[in-house]
Amino acid sequence: MRDSFDINSNDNALFTTAMCSNRCLMCCQPPSEKNDIEMLWGKNIKLIDTAPKELPSIGVTGGEPTLLGGRFFELIRHIRITLPNTEVHILSNGRAFSDKQFTRQLGEIGPEKILLGIPLHSDNQLDHDFIAGAKGAYTDTLLGLYNLARWSFDIELRVVLTKLNYQRLPQIAHFIYRNLPFVRYISLMGLEYTGYTIKNAEQVWIDPVDMAEPMCEATLFLASTGLDVSIFNLSQCVLPERIWPFVRKSISDWKNRFEPFCDQCRLKPDCCGLFATSKKQSLNLHPLV
Amino acid sequence: MFYLLPFHFQPVGEKEILTNDLGDYLIIPRGSVQRIINREISPSEDLYKDLLASFIISETPVPHLLDNMATRLATRKSFLDNFTALHIFVMTLRCNQNCIYCQALSRDSSFKGCDMKESDLMTAVDLMFRSPAKHLTMEFQGGEPTLVSDLIQKGILYAEQKNQSECRQITYVICSNCVNVSNELLEFCRQYNVVFSTSLDGPFYLHNHNRGKIDSYQKVIAGIDKVREALGADKVSALMTTSEDSLRYPREIIDAYRENGFHSVFLRALNPYGLAQDNNNWPAYFDAFVDFYKQALEYILELNKQGEGFVEEFTALILRKILTPFPIGFVDLQTPAGIINNVIVYNYDGYVYASDESRMLAENKDFTFRLGKISDKYEDLFYGRKAQELSRIWATEYIAGCSECAYQSICGADPVRNYSTQGDAYGYRPDSTICRKNKAIIEYIFKLLDERTEEVLPIFMNWISGTR
Repeated sequence: MRDSFDINSNDNALFTTAMCSNRCLMCCQPPSEKNDIEMLWGKNIKLIDTAPKELPSIGVTGGEPTLLGGRFFELIRHIRITLPNTEVHILSNGRAFSDKQFTRQLGEIGPEKILLGIPLHSDNQLDHDFIAGAKGAYTDTLLGLYNLARWSFDIELRVVLTKLNYQRLPQIAHFIYRNLPFVRYISLMGLEYTGYTIKNAEQVWIDPVDMAEPMCEATLFLASTGLDVSIFNLSQCVLPERIWPFVRKSISDWKNRFEPFCDQCRLKPDCCGLFATSKKQSLNLHPLV
Repeated sequence: MFYLLPFHFQPVGEKEILTNDLGDYLIIPRGSVQRIINREISPSEDLYKDLLASFIISETPVPHLLDNMATRLATRKSFLDNFTALHIFVMTLRCNQNCIYCQALSRDSSFKGCDMKESDLMTAVDLMFRSPAKHLTMEFQGGEPTLVSDLIQKGILYAEQKNQSECRQITYVICSNCVNVSNELLEFCRQYNVVFSTSLDGPFYLHNHNRGKIDSYQKVIAGIDKVREALGADKVSALMTTSEDSLRYPREIIDAYRENGFHSVFLRALNPYGLAQDNNNWPAYFDAFVDFYKQALEYILELNKQGEGFVEEFTALILRKILTPFPIGFVDLQTPAGIINNVIVYNYDGYVYASDESRMLAENKDFTFRLGKISDKYEDLFYGRKAQELSRIWATEYIAGCSECAYQSICGADPVRNYSTQGDAYGYRPDSTICRKNKAIIEYIFKLLDERTEEVLPIFMNWISGTR
């Protein structure tokens, strides 16, 4: 963690708590049981107060930031007042928003310049709850997404691609269009080989090249509906060319790296690179010459 | 253990099509419904997850996502929010053509006494603005409405004047055969952004035959060109009607549309109204129409695969209802029905009718769907006794033969059609030709989506994206 914000970085985030209401099998930042809210609060407020006014965006992350309860709204309101022009990107599992009163409190701050990144692990409760490691997670998240939409919040729906959900990607895509056509962005996200993913590798890790078919089907279907779909954290060399147009340079600058052979690749300037934090990479990485 | 949510199903060949009111659907192996009812599906099966995600089954007696389901249903029925959006003004019954299947029983252009009275026109515009719809469509029909172009202009000018305080979005449409549109009217249309809807049945030999003239095609094409030149290429759309002769020319009809610069066609079956009522074997006609439709659609898919974006509009409407969570604005495929809820007709005779077809019945002296005089009160017309009676039979959700149909939420209710073809507005589905046709087409589209997914889905999505 840093103690000041860099205006040139693409990853300025407030780490609000390590606690979480989910126990996702591929969590890159394993949660803790310890109540650290008070401990982190002062530092975050100071970060906001000392941030450059023209900071383009600020992340609010965890853990699960909504576990701050009333202080969550206090934090967002403080950012809103202190940094009125900064985009706020909240990463949440969305479960707390299943409560209409809770959502109302965020709604009253207003949806302007707020984007909520919320993961959906599957089209069905069984898979989602299993991946999230929490019973009721699917229901809460879906109710939360609808409640947030009622207040016109911009939502980035995140689908983390794992061995547990890649086969149903086409069904997930259809489910999103039918049930969540109001989301602003859909991000299909490659796995970071760190945290719980290492522990649960057997269950969750799959080489990206092995999910090419369902990835293509889902991505192209979502694009054909007019929804804004992107692929994050995966490089072109492990994806079929048909979906290269959806690949984004997404990995935060401080944890991004390349292989030596990447220098030969003609697509390196447009590539998201690799997670420096990943303990394992696709076995199929190769330069495109 | 799981619980059943309301769903419909239809066996088709080796498959079963399952649908629900929210717009979810599944095409699964035959026998699956029995297994669902018997609770034989295990959570380890992919089918179990499909059923959960499609709201066919629930793990709790009351689904936890009931609020979301309600929102989806409300979205699907949101075409009702705005009430009547399409206001048809039948300006005159006179016409300068003589089509063999004329549905309006039009009169010769010199005939007297069948133009709309100016006072009725103004009162009808007042009624139109009583509708709460933010977006109104004011559509001029006939006969040939351009024969009374001064009346059209008066109507539009009055609507424009009222709209200064009403602030609605208004689309003006003139349904014209385009054979005799004056420069003066075109200049007016350019000024007020009026669009034209015309009729083109296909290649010249077919079009002329259907029109009972030798030069109608040439005149219509010249008219379309003239309107396009004055108003812009996209300001003219065309409708075709499939006469019995047309059934032999699926490709030729589409080619005629392409050659004349159109990028879509609406394959429209004959309506058993007006002169078209004389056709003596309707079931055979509709079976032949479905074959014609399939051939035409196949050809259109071929064009799309070769890179030519060409749309079949009826298919696109059905696809929107199958593939998207949104409603459509097409009056023939609504439940509750489009009559009154989405469309109303102000007729040249000074009366208000429930639909275009209703006023055509009136030409045969059948006034069943006459709601009252244009001079009557808005409430009495739109919420009066006739409207109330119709409302008891105007939704597929509660009429026999539709309520249990798997295509209930894709199809629509049409009491007027039932009445005109079967003599009873409630209708009898087992030998209804409209039911037979719509079921066959919807089933065919499902079949394409299931068996030729990779090939057709991108094309179909392309047809329906961007337009809601």
